[in-house]
Amino acid sequence: MTTASEPLPLARPRRDPLLGVAIVAVALVYVRALAFTPIEARQGPAQKILYIHASAAFIALYVAFALMAVCSILYLWLKDEKLDRVAESAAEVGLTFTTVVLLTGPLWGKTIWGAWWTWDARLTSTLFLWFLIVAYSLLRGAVEERGRRARYSAVLGILAALLVPFIHLSVYLFRTLHPMPILLKPSAPSMPAEMQVTFFSAFSAFLLLFAALLRARYRIATLRDLVASREEHAG
Amino acid sequence: MTPDNAGFATAAYTLAALVYGAYIVSLKVRERRLRERLARLESPARPASNRPAGA
Repeated sequence: MTTASEPLPLARPRRDPLLGVAIVAVALVYVRALAFTPIEARQGPAQKILYIHASAAFIALYVAFALMAVCSILYLWLKDEKLDRVAESAAEVGLTFTTVVLLTGPLWGKTIWGAWWTWDARLTSTLFLWFLIVAYSLLRGAVEERGRRARYSAVLGILAALLVPFIHLSVYLFRTLHPMPILLKPSAPSMPAEMQVTFFSAFSAFLLLFAALLRARYRIATLRDLVASREEHAG
Repeated sequence: MTPDNAGFATAAYTLAALVYGAYIVSLKVRERRLRERLARLESPARPASNRPAGA
């Protein structure tokens, strides 16, 4: 089991190059999506919300919360604090991406459905997952003893992640207003090539942003545990 | 006819930038506070250090 009192790679670079590169990549995607990608004829410019909405959803559900679940399972088995820190960091960064999904979705929905929100299976289960991850964060703040905090949150993290396959399948299992996948499906993507390039550029840029944020958040978790260990020793 | 709803796209992109930007700022602030706390814990006790021995 590792502890925060062991030597840690905390020599801080004055700047975070990965975060800088990610921010530039996202800025370039903004320019490409808004200025250089064709407007979809039926939906109009609002269809461009897809590039940030779907990218954030993929990364939150299939990267962040999957990582949180895997690290939580491994933590319960190996009791390595590093795994708990990765799970905690992935959950928080995933929560940020899910917040973007829940804010941009209604803006798109209003233009194509005529309603900001509908209580269908996809939207409601995503909102429920958002609340579960908020609860996960609150739980982490409420339990002081490090081992107990890690165990409880690992269990909650695994339970929350069980919702991800349900969210993915909800558009097939229920009648929902939310469209079926146009990219993640067995047949070829139903989207013109130029839009596909923008979408995959956006996905790559936001994935880079996710990696940079995860790294920064992990550094904070490590520092916090180190400060806690020093304070325990001091007093 | 293509609908004119560019305002919705602009609002969505602005909101997303605000959320990511606010999160990056919160990470920077939290890290700086923790580093300051750690520096205080690791620095030797200050009050007596400037005084000459025996003073």
